[in-house]
Amino acid sequence: MTRLKSGVMSYVAITIAAVLVAAVPLLSADRYILKVLVYVGVNVIVIAGLALLFGHAGQISMGHAAFVGIGAYTSAYCVGQVHLPWLVGVAVGTALAAAGGFVLAMPALRLRGHYLAMATLGFSEIMYVVFREARGITGGSDGLGGIAYPEVAGFSFDTPVAVYLLVWGVALLTVLLVMNILRSRPGRAMRALHATENGALACGIDTAGLKIRTFALSAGLAGLAGALYAHSVGFISPGTFGLDQSVIYVATVVVGGAGSLAGPVLAAVALTLLPYADALIPGLSRETVAVLQNWETDIYGIAMIAVVVLAPAGIGGLLKRLRSGRAGEAHV
Amino acid sequence: MEAAEFIQYVIAGLKSGSIYALVALGFSVVYASTGIINFAQGEFFMLGGVLSVWFYSLGLPLPVAGIAAVVATAGLGIVFERFALRRQRSANPLVLVIITIGGSMVMKSLARHLFGPDELSLPEFTPGPSIDIVGAAVERQALWVWGLTVVAVLALWWLYRKTRLGHAMRACSISHDAARLMGVDTARVVMISFGIAAALGALGGFAVTPLTQTSWDAGAVIGVKGFAAAILGGLGNPLAAVIGGLVLGLLESLSVAFISSAYKDAISLLVLLIVLFVRPQGLFGSKRREKV
Repeated sequence: MTRLKSGVMSYVAITIAAVLVAAVPLLSADRYILKVLVYVGVNVIVIAGLALLFGHAGQISMGHAAFVGIGAYTSAYCVGQVHLPWLVGVAVGTALAAAGGFVLAMPALRLRGHYLAMATLGFSEIMYVVFREARGITGGSDGLGGIAYPEVAGFSFDTPVAVYLLVWGVALLTVLLVMNILRSRPGRAMRALHATENGALACGIDTAGLKIRTFALSAGLAGLAGALYAHSVGFISPGTFGLDQSVIYVATVVVGGAGSLAGPVLAAVALTLLPYADALIPGLSRETVAVLQNWETDIYGIAMIAVVVLAPAGIGGLLKRLRSGRAGEAHV
Repeated sequence: MEAAEFIQYVIAGLKSGSIYALVALGFSVVYASTGIINFAQGEFFMLGGVLSVWFYSLGLPLPVAGIAAVVATAGLGIVFERFALRRQRSANPLVLVIITIGGSMVMKSLARHLFGPDELSLPEFTPGPSIDIVGAAVERQALWVWGLTVVAVLALWWLYRKTRLGHAMRACSISHDAARLMGVDTARVVMISFGIAAALGALGGFAVTPLTQTSWDAGAVIGVKGFAAAILGGLGNPLAAVIGGLVLGLLESLSVAFISSAYKDAISLLVLLIVLFVRPQGLFGSKRREKV
């Protein structure tokens, strides 16, 4: 009964989110606001995938920015230099990131905890060097500009509103996908794996296969986000896909709360908006924004430690408490 | 390739290798007494560099500035353990990983706020022309790097083998519970281990700054490479960490000589991945089975 209710509530939440997303362009067509919201949408896709892997299956990845980069550079290359249609480029980028995740996961997921963290971190740094040095494909440290807008069957998403709607459409579908996975058999298997790997194994769960598939899916979603990012922003450079960004992704999931999906998604929205607070709050002075941008990493780092130490369930735990509190009232 | 040129590469490799060794020792000391991988270890290296530059700019003589930087970083390591990590000791290792990652983000960012975004440098400890060793030129500062590394390794050896604290640290690496039953103050041992690890990293940062300069973002890469060195030798074993560091430095330098300088960083990380995947216990480690 409660499960049914929470299921309905999740769909209600997604619908409300979809209405809000659709309402934004009606309220404002400001280029800057829409661009910031595109960043937010891209991060929501990455975080939904990472929340699945890290928050639910309990496997850390300190290299997700590298998968975003693989998707971005691959799609930009396929469309820009090989002249493939946009959809094909995005598909290849997503597939290559997923394949990268698969190949890395096969040996890496035998490792646990901090070893896995270091292995994925090493992978992230290797890919950063590749993005910087493989100039023929990536444009080196100067970056790659002039990436074509998304185009499907002759329709070009060349206005800020169209790009915004495309990115957020994909983001909401991604959240829906992850939600459904969590609700079904693999999701339950992931929770079992997270709680006790040996116990899950004893229950007949193919833990190795599950970990590899989850890692590949999560990496693929990161690649998809990267491909969308490349074509909607039009310019990519290695700095965007470095270790710092991987760490920020992990911080976002931690602040959002491991074991939750709504929490990390909300955290992705909030933390991505933080350095662009002026897009939402019109009266904000330039100095305040500069301070926020300057102290961005400190805020993330401190928030991450504070959540782990003081409120391990993060924003997700807070949401759950609110919900159960309200349910309690209803019973009285 | 001529012999002199080859030796030049070997010397360059041993130079960066001994820095990796110092950072690797830091990982090893903390891992031995806690089982934690400290992701902030690279930041201790960075702090040793930038703090010594800052103390030197205040007018302190160079050796005093270096010692002050090492002591201050050690203090910071102790504070970090005491206030961020200790309360979570019993938690899932992933929680500790996250705390040390958060700590490294904050240390790095604060260093940028306090000391600026630019490259910082120190004068050489003993300025003078390079020394000729069988046709290869060796900077005087490189001798300092090696000398300080040797001193640090010997001091650590003495600590582990000859002092009460060292025995307590070794007891903790075998079993915290057993050590506590024997009257060892394990919390204090863990705290001091962090202090020592921070001091080792800072010493590396101080010694190498005159050669390579340093900046607020120098910690991450050296942290990963130091970890690669520690894992190459086998985590938790100080001597293996030193050998791992030197081997990694040599591999890196020879890969510049024979393959390409552009992919130098990628090669040492590839070594890390291969060792992690093929032989996670390291070259000198023995296989440990995990019990249910």
